[in-house]
Amino acid sequence: MENLVYIALFAPFVSSLFAALFGMSQRQVFVGIVASSLLAISFISSALLAIHLYTTGDVIHVRLMDWINAGDLHIPFGFIVDQVSVTMMMVVTLVSTVVHIYSIGYMDHDKSFNRFFSYLSAFVFSMMILVMSDNFAGLFIGWEGVGVCSWLLIGFWYHKADVTREENPSISPSWAANEAFIMNRIADLGMLIGLFIIYWNTGSLQYDEVFAQLPYLSETILTTSAFALFIGAMGKSAQFPLHTWLTDAMEGPTPVSALIHAATMVTAGVFLVIRANPLFSMTPEVSFFIASLGTFVAFFAASMALVNRDLKRIIAFSTLSQLGYMFAAAGLGAYWIALFHLGAHAFFKALLFLGAGNVMHAMHDELDIFKMGGLKKTMRWTWLYMGLASLALAGIFPFAGFFSKDAIIETAFNEGTYVLWAILVITAGMTAFYSFRQVFLTFHGDERYKEFGIHPHEMYKYVLIAMAPLAILALVAGFGMHQYEAFITNLLPEYHMSEHTHHLVVWLTLIVSAFAIGGILLAYVKYAKGLKRDTKLENSFAYKVLANQYYIPQLYEEFITKPYKIVSEIFWEKVDLKIVDATVDNIAKTLYKTGDSTRSMQTGNLSNYLNWMAVGGVVLLVIAAISAMLV
Amino acid sequence: MIGLSHYLIVSAIIFSIGLIGVLRRRNLLMLFFATEVMLNAVNIAFAAISHYYNDLTGQMFAFFVIAIAASEVAVGLGILIVLYKKHGSLDLDNLANMRG
Amino acid sequence: MENILSILVFFPAVAGLLGFVIDKESARAYGITVATIEFLLSLWLWFSFDMSNAGMQFVEVIPLIPDIGVNYYLGVDGISLFILIMTTLMTLIGMTSMSITTNIKNMIVTLLFLEMTMVGVFVALDAIIFYLFWELSLVPMLYIIGAWGGPLRVYASIKFFLYTFTGSLIMLVGMLFVAYVYHNLTGVWSFAITDWYALVLPVNYQLWLFAAFFIGFAIKVPMFPFHTWIPYAHGQAPTIGSVILAAVLLKMGTYGFVRFSLPMFPDASVMAITPVAVLSLIMIIYTAMVAYSQKDMKQVIAYSSVSHMGIIMLGIFAMNAEGISGSVFQMLSHGIVSGALFMLVGVIYDRRHTKLLSEFGGLAAVMPKYAVIFGIMLMAAVGLPLTMGFPGEFLVLLGFYQVSPIMTILGGTSIILGAVYMLRIYKQSFFGPVTKEENKVLSDLNNKETWSLVPLVLIVVWLGVYPKPVLEPIDNSVKAMLNFMDGKAITQEAKDMIKVSTSNKEVN
Repeated sequence: MENLVYIALFAPFVSSLFAALFGMSQRQVFVGIVASSLLAISFISSALLAIHLYTTGDVIHVRLMDWINAGDLHIPFGFIVDQVSVTMMMVVTLVSTVVHIYSIGYMDHDKSFNRFFSYLSAFVFSMMILVMSDNFAGLFIGWEGVGVCSWLLIGFWYHKADVTREENPSISPSWAANEAFIMNRIADLGMLIGLFIIYWNTGSLQYDEVFAQLPYLSETILTTSAFALFIGAMGKSAQFPLHTWLTDAMEGPTPVSALIHAATMVTAGVFLVIRANPLFSMTPEVSFFIASLGTFVAFFAASMALVNRDLKRIIAFSTLSQLGYMFAAAGLGAYWIALFHLGAHAFFKALLFLGAGNVMHAMHDELDIFKMGGLKKTMRWTWLYMGLASLALAGIFPFAGFFSKDAIIETAFNEGTYVLWAILVITAGMTAFYSFRQVFLTFHGDERYKEFGIHPHEMYKYVLIAMAPLAILALVAGFGMHQYEAFITNLLPEYHMSEHTHHLVVWLTLIVSAFAIGGILLAYVKYAKGLKRDTKLENSFAYKVLANQYYIPQLYEEFITKPYKIVSEIFWEKVDLKIVDATVDNIAKTLYKTGDSTRSMQTGNLSNYLNWMAVGGVVLLVIAAISAMLV
Repeated sequence: MIGLSHYLIVSAIIFSIGLIGVLRRRNLLMLFFATEVMLNAVNIAFAAISHYYNDLTGQMFAFFVIAIAASEVAVGLGILIVLYKKHGSLDLDNLANMRG
Repeated sequence: MENILSILVFFPAVAGLLGFVIDKESARAYGITVATIEFLLSLWLWFSFDMSNAGMQFVEVIPLIPDIGVNYYLGVDGISLFILIMTTLMTLIGMTSMSITTNIKNMIVTLLFLEMTMVGVFVALDAIIFYLFWELSLVPMLYIIGAWGGPLRVYASIKFFLYTFTGSLIMLVGMLFVAYVYHNLTGVWSFAITDWYALVLPVNYQLWLFAAFFIGFAIKVPMFPFHTWIPYAHGQAPTIGSVILAAVLLKMGTYGFVRFSLPMFPDASVMAITPVAVLSLIMIIYTAMVAYSQKDMKQVIAYSSVSHMGIIMLGIFAMNAEGISGSVFQMLSHGIVSGALFMLVGVIYDRRHTKLLSEFGGLAAVMPKYAVIFGIMLMAAVGLPLTMGFPGEFLVLLGFYQVSPIMTILGGTSIILGAVYMLRIYKQSFFGPVTKEENKVLSDLNNKETWSLVPLVLIVVWLGVYPKPVLEPIDNSVKAMLNFMDGKAITQEAKDMIKVSTSNKEVN
């Protein structure tokens, strides 16, 4: 079993190295094939581990070697395969295998094909470290590793120039990459602080040792550490106010968006909260904050998705919104439901993104859904996949999203947080509306793309086949919920609905479904027959605020980026050169000038010198006499 | 009775004469003499104190100073002759090559 | 090889002397050979080093001036061993990658002399010998900047020399005073640092002496506000000068703090934690911002170097094994990473004869290998886990958290601000379209450059993944030192502040 752990972990690493060998050469299809096969091996190993764990219940814990030993700190490279990590491993390796195969088709015209696979596999490796590590430091390795891979992949088309925000809201891929990296770094500082608090209070960073120590810690320490860790989670999972990078990250190739910015990396924050559930369940204030923030982000992101015209950005906003749902569940104590939604979401959201990739491929990288329409004719399979994924996202029975999202909304009701419940229900309606607005605008109605001279075509067969597992999972995953509950609650705390909720469960489900179906119907009425633009609405204040993401990116630019630049320049030109350095130079100049001005004493006349010597002698005598008298 | 203090006063007077000579004279040769006067003033003091303490070290030192002075005169006069040959005068005010 | 340390110190010097008679054509090959032998010798030192022994090893004592207790006294422990190896490594790599062709023979001889002085500083256990090498190291560097530097080279080299020299004179006064106190208390003269360790000084003496040593070391580090010589020195120095300056000469300052200030003046050091930490924080944040506003690529690296030295200073004054070990590790990491970054800037300077960021753009497409290596070094500089930059920075911040959470948060902004300026220069020079015609035809790294940079990349990754072989001996020596400091401290607050690790407590 140990070997399987290492195979699951290192197969993506080998794949990355292998692709990197050919990184600077021409496109070679076998690189993609080898990389995908290695990922598949990793997936099979993870599946075997999952089966082993499911049947025997043995948690596998391996220790590769020591990493950092200093003072009393001991950090090993240790990996644990338990119910939580095996779930993540399955999700990560499955989605990434599909995305790897998909990329062979999607990137087939890109000259940096090999380099792409190297980065993509490196990402999977980092993600595996993140989920499998048995300590917080190992988690942090993966945490930063996925950050760097995300930086590389968002900026994959680095040769594009910067443009203005009006032309492209993300400015350029390299700009978006830097934004993502720096935003994540801000959050990482919070996470580091969390690790420090934990280390100095428990003496360890190993999960099991830390959790065993928790009951002995004071409430302040628990709260601050939980909060600091959550700041880290906020960055990775793009929660408000660190959310702007996620939509800009759509500058990366679409497979990247599917894998990193929908299915896996952005859920790392949720994973952290679930992983550290003993800590978070002891800090009700922080947990409630998490739930509230999650609910807020769910609504906030959905509102921006309502009016966006960019195919990928809409999906990005929906990712943000669904992450909010996950945090809401985790914050309310329903950790396993959050994890379940994480998995279900990974499947249908990756599917949605890959479908969007097909559309982009067909539309020659056009992303504006107002310029699409009627694609159903030429792209039947993609339409089917995206429709299915959207149904799942909207939470329609019997798709995966129905079960998981419904459970979250029920949890909010069950906890008595009716405000959160109401917001989540409304958001569910909004989710249904914007996903189907997108589906209808893309695939139904009049063929608006024709005036741009685009001839869409369906994606390659093998790519469509590769997407099938995700579609099947989006369809059936929900039915495994009870088995999964039994499996996961071996590790995570159980969550039971109260008697009261139990009675109302049918009604609750009906309300949510009514909102969802209502959203779809609204979208159908408005958009299925074709695009009718309502200029009055589009010019209204609220619409503009939403379309400009509440002006938050502009706000950051005006109040953080620009002042930072100005202050930096002041520091350099005014402080460093004019004050600090000038002081040093002035000291030197003073000495020099003193020498220069006293130079005239040096008349060259011996008798002058002798006079000065006599004066000096007298002065010395006087000083000697005075000091003798004083003593 | 002539005591130590008398000798020291004489020594001080001679030293002062020498010092004034050093300060006021412009001719290098005269300056040289003035230095010799100062050295001898010190010699008087040395001898007197040596006698007072019954310690021969002081007198020894006086001889030492005389020897030094003699060699100094030998070297110094040599330099003065060269200077005179070069500049045609020994007036200090004319010798300001080292002006800073 | 009992005299391995003497050989290490004087072999380059003797070889340098012989270098004068070497033919000009073969000077470079000769220099590389000597540096290689020296490097292998230092590796041999590592392999025969007893990892479990925290004290001084390979000790050599030859009386020089017995009357005043000056001895030729050398030795290494875990702290100095790796700085020494890094010194020989960076000299070798710097020499290999060197692109200078004018007066190459003089350059080789100068570098070999410089190597002697640097090795000497890190193995000296006698204050006078230490001071001797410390000052001597200024001369070759003055010459390197002054003779091969840019247009402002004379100003830069004189500023460098006088500034650091002033500081070290004050340090010398401090050393003489320690010796004087030692003589007063014990009746014998001694300049041996190990003897001085045993000296328990009253707190007010400690404070004055700490201040004297502080000025000497702080200028060398360089700490804010004594840092302004470094942008000129780096800006004007040739690539090889910057590499050695950043990699090794700056470490002499921080090494001095660990070797002298902490064990000799534990109480004063504890009292100085807050002021030093404040200065370090200014270094970290302020210079990171200044680095952000630079227009010249090399100046960005120069200021970033100051910012990283701030992290090292913070770690030294964490007063626990995590912080100090991390700090020493960070010295090595900073040496290798910033050395490599300066070499990388040198690569582009050789091709374009400019370092202005506005002249570049889109280089990743033209010079992919260069971009990859630059990227790896950049990630190491911003402290990415599994590169060498991480363990040090992590341990420093972890260690300092125990002293002050607020200051750690402020110091931790280095991971954000570092990413800000580093990613900025990377984006400006490597990303985007190739705008300048002359950049379209640039050649990628040649063999010489590749073979000098790849070893550094390997080291950066190796010590990021498996820092144990280096970190363990460092940690042993640091723990022993802390243990010693704790025993020696007079005031209760110093005893409280200095944290002895639990593994050590059990031994005692």
